Amino acid sequence: MSAVMSRTARLRHPVAGTLAVAGYVVMIVPILFVVATAFTAGSTLRFPPDGLSLRWFGEAVAYTPFMEAVVSSLQLAVLATGLALLLGVPVTLAIHRGKIPGKGLLEGLFLSPLVVPELVVGLALYQQLMIGLRLDNFTTLLLGHTALLLPYAVRVTGASLALADPALEEAARGLGASPLRAFVTVTLPMLRPGLISAGLLGFVTSFNNVPLSLLLQTRDFRTLPVTMLDYVQQSYDPMVAAASTLVLAATVVVAIVAERTVGFAKIFGGINR
Amino acid sequence: MRARSSLLLLLPGLAFLCVGFLLPAVAMLFAPPGVSFAQVLERMGAMLTDPYDLGIIWRTVRIGLIVTALCVVLGFPIASLLARSQSRWSGVLLALAIFPLLLSNVVRTFGWLVVLGSNGVIGQLLTGLGIVDEAPQLLYTELAIVLGLVQLFLPLAVITCYSAVAQVDPGLDEAARGLGASRTRAFWSVLVPLSLPGIVVAATLVFAGSVTAYTTPYLLGGSSQRMLSTQLFSYASVTVDWAAASATAIVMTVLVFLVSGISTLVGRKGATA
Repeated sequence: MSAVMSRTARLRHPVAGTLAVAGYVVMIVPILFVVATAFTAGSTLRFPPDGLSLRWFGEAVAYTPFMEAVVSSLQLAVLATGLALLLGVPVTLAIHRGKIPGKGLLEGLFLSPLVVPELVVGLALYQQLMIGLRLDNFTTLLLGHTALLLPYAVRVTGASLALADPALEEAARGLGASPLRAFVTVTLPMLRPGLISAGLLGFVTSFNNVPLSLLLQTRDFRTLPVTMLDYVQQSYDPMVAAASTLVLAATVVVAIVAERTVGFAKIFGGINR
Repeated sequence: MRARSSLLLLLPGLAFLCVGFLLPAVAMLFAPPGVSFAQVLERMGAMLTDPYDLGIIWRTVRIGLIVTALCVVLGFPIASLLARSQSRWSGVLLALAIFPLLLSNVVRTFGWLVVLGSNGVIGQLLTGLGIVDEAPQLLYTELAIVLGLVQLFLPLAVITCYSAVAQVDPGLDEAARGLGASRTRAFWSVLVPLSLPGIVVAATLVFAGSVTAYTTPYLLGGSSQRMLSTQLFSYASVTVDWAAASATAIVMTVLVFLVSGISTLVGRKGATA
């Protein structure tokens, strides 16, 4: 009883409580204002909005550069996430199940894209691949995004694999299953939560990325966040608020999927050291 | 698994990592297009003596330190309240703190344009209440960048501190309370020291993120409040000064590595102490 009392009392600690409330205000309130201004009937970004309408949602959906960018960003995110998982899962298997020297070093190497600033990586890819080797920007973006997502694929699926008992795979092999069959029927199901987490995190990371993609844009292939940034710089109307609200709605859907599959709070568990 | 099959599993991922990240990053240092490494070094030397460039470096470091301090001061109380609360609301509050990590930085930062802009919420509130005659300039200031970055990185601080606090046995703070320590004393002499490694990790992640973020200084700082990231983009894309772009990239990367290195040392010392 006293334990419960002291816990409730701690919740009401005035200084900690005030700081926590301030933190939530900074994290959440600006997002709410974006949604509120998206429904304005007027033509300026202001709060309170001048009347209510869905006008800007219509304009955002009808604005070709945004819609083309949505398609481009979806393509890039799906392909980069798929590739990162295809390349990353074998790496995880080799690191956790293989008999090779320098595992720590190898894992560090695959996590290294997280350490170098993304803008710097973007500059390097722009200079060396797009200008130097004359690769087209989609290929360069796909290479860069896949390399950026590899750490997620390796570490998050690795966290799942570390929990799985290798004896189960050995048992399957002992009972006559081929290595491939043992992988598909035993290892893969154990990897499922890690694969879903890494997939969701990877997709969201790629779809939202600005610093890496920024220098790799061309007129033919532009990603959504960069297109939105450019639009804000040119004109200051509520269309971006409407587009942002649509992105927010899509993100809520992703969060719900995450909650239903692996548990929302858990999907970040693997990447945090 | 034999060493040869492990190697086969590693190779495709390794090849991708090299082409999409490692080789371009190394090549950028030594061979930007049409510029020698000596010229990059020379430009870097000039950068470290030029008052304008030094001002940008100092602003970047200053903003990074302020944002880090604020994120720890706001994030740790949120994390400790959530980790220690038994209320059914704590799950909802945790989800609310994590959700922004999935949401586009452009969308999150855009909210501050609505809050701080000339027709923004704060300006309207201040003039409407008759506190000031003319709305103060809030956008394109360092304050705007700091607010935007705190919003961006607070969720990261919360989730990192949360896992640290959750690992501290609640019995220990109960014991301190039982032995007569005040709530505040139990917080400072039990919870904070035992969660310190997590706090150091959170601070490092926030600092590294803040000094390399692009979207926030671009949208909220404009051209008057340049940081290393916006300056790098301008060199690479507006003035196409490869030597300066590479030099800025090196300064930025060294800054991040330096702070990560210091934090690893601090963490190790904390672990042995």
